[in-house]
Amino acid sequence: MKKKITLQIQGMECPNCAMKLESIEDRLKGVLLAEASYHKALLTVEYQEELISEEAIRAEIARLGYQAV
Amino acid sequence: MVNILLAFLTGLTTGGLSCLAVQGGLLASSLAGQIEKDLQNSPPAAHKQSRKNPPPRSKPQLAKPILVFLLAKLIAYTVLGLLLGWAGRVLQLSPYTRAFLLIAIGIFMLGSALRMLNVHPIFRYFAFEPPAALRRWLRRKAGSSADSPLLTPALLGALTVLIPCGVTQVMMAAALATGDPLQSAALMFAFTLGTSPLFFAVAYFTTQIGARLERYFMRFVAIVVLILAIITIDSGIALAGSPVSLTRWFNQQLTGNLQPSLVEFQPPEDAETSSQVITIQVQNYGYEPALIRARADVPTRLRLISKDVYSCALAFTVPSLGIQELLKPTGITEIEIPPQQEGSRLTFSCSMGMYGGVILFEDV
Repeated sequence: MKKKITLQIQGMECPNCAMKLESIEDRLKGVLLAEASYHKALLTVEYQEELISEEAIRAEIARLGYQAV
Repeated sequence: MVNILLAFLTGLTTGGLSCLAVQGGLLASSLAGQIEKDLQNSPPAAHKQSRKNPPPRSKPQLAKPILVFLLAKLIAYTVLGLLLGWAGRVLQLSPYTRAFLLIAIGIFMLGSALRMLNVHPIFRYFAFEPPAALRRWLRRKAGSSADSPLLTPALLGALTVLIPCGVTQVMMAAALATGDPLQSAALMFAFTLGTSPLFFAVAYFTTQIGARLERYFMRFVAIVVLILAIITIDSGIALAGSPVSLTRWFNQQLTGNLQPSLVEFQPPEDAETSSQVITIQVQNYGYEPALIRARADVPTRLRLISKDVYSCALAFTVPSLGIQELLKPTGITEIEIPPQQEGSRLTFSCSMGMYGGVILFEDV
C-alpha cells in the first residue's frame, strides 16, 4: 500500500542538501517519490509499505548526515 | 589592453578573495556530490569514522569538478560581459538605479550571510532553491555519469553570475560602461580568469583538509559576506546621495585624511560671465578636494584631472543631476553644471559610492 510521510529535517545547511536527501528516491527500493525543501526544512516521501518501512527511510536519512524529527 | 591586464590583476588579488567569500558556498555545494561519491566508494569502516577523520581523497577526482566549476564560471561571465557591453550600448543605468541595485544586492548578501551563520530559519529563503523537477533532472544526470558528477559543478559555476561579489560588480559596471560587447566580454573574461587560481587553491586545499575545516571555512565565508554586505548597502546609500557613508569614512581613515578640509572658492574663470571652474584631482583613493565651496547661481564647470588612476574613482557620478562620466586613467574631463541655488549641496561620488565629496553652493 502507498504511504506518504512528511518529516522535519535537521542539519540541512544549503539547497544542495535537499538534492542529497532526495537521492533516497533512487537509492531505496520502495521509495516512489522524495521531495525536500531547504526553505521549509521538510522532506516528503511517498513509498510502498510492503517494500520499505518508515524506520528504514529514517535510518537512510541519518546515514546521509541529517536528522528526521 | 591595459584595462584588460588590470582586470586580470584585480581578479588575481582582491577579486579572488572577494568572490571566494560570496561564491565559496556554491563551489562547496558543487563539490558535495563528488565528496559524497568518494565516501560511498570508500570501505564501510572508513565510512563510519568519515565525519571525524575523512579518508584521503584522490587528487584528480576533486580537481576535475573544481576545474569544471571554474570553466563554467569563466564562460558564464564572458557571456555576461558580452551582454553588459551590449546593454551599455543600448541603455545607461542612472546612478539612482545603480544605487537601488546595490542596496538590493547588499540585502541579498546580508540575508545569505545570516543564513550561512544559521541565525534564523527565515534566512533560508535567501538561498535559491531550484524547482523539484529541475533538481530531479540534475540528480539523475549527475548520477548517470559513471565516474564523476560534473554536471552540478558546471551548472553551479554558471550560476555564480547570479551572485556577483562587490569587486565583480565594480568590474560589471566598468564592463557596462565600455558600451562595447567585445571589449566588455574581454574585460569580464580577464577578471574571472584572474580570480580562478585563488578559487582553485582554496577549494582544493580546503576539501583536502577535511569536513571539519570546511565548516570553519563556511563560517569564515559567512562573516566576510556579512562585511561585504554592509559595504555594498553603504555604497548604495552613498551613491543615492547620502552625505554620510561608512565606506567613505573608512577610506578617509585609511588615507589619513580624518576630516576633509573645506576648500575656499576657486577664482572665476571668466569675470564677465562670472562662470566658475572647480578643479578636482581624481586619485586612486578618492577625490581631492572632497568638500568644496562654490558660488551659487552661476554656471559651473567641473574640471576633473586624473593621472594613472585605475580605481572606480574613474566612474564619476553626480546622482542628483544624472551625470555619469567614465574618466580616462590619465587626462582632463570637463563637466558643465547648471547654476545651483544658494544653500544647495551637490553630492558627487564614484559609481560604487566608495569615494565621494560635496560641493556647497553659497552666495558671495
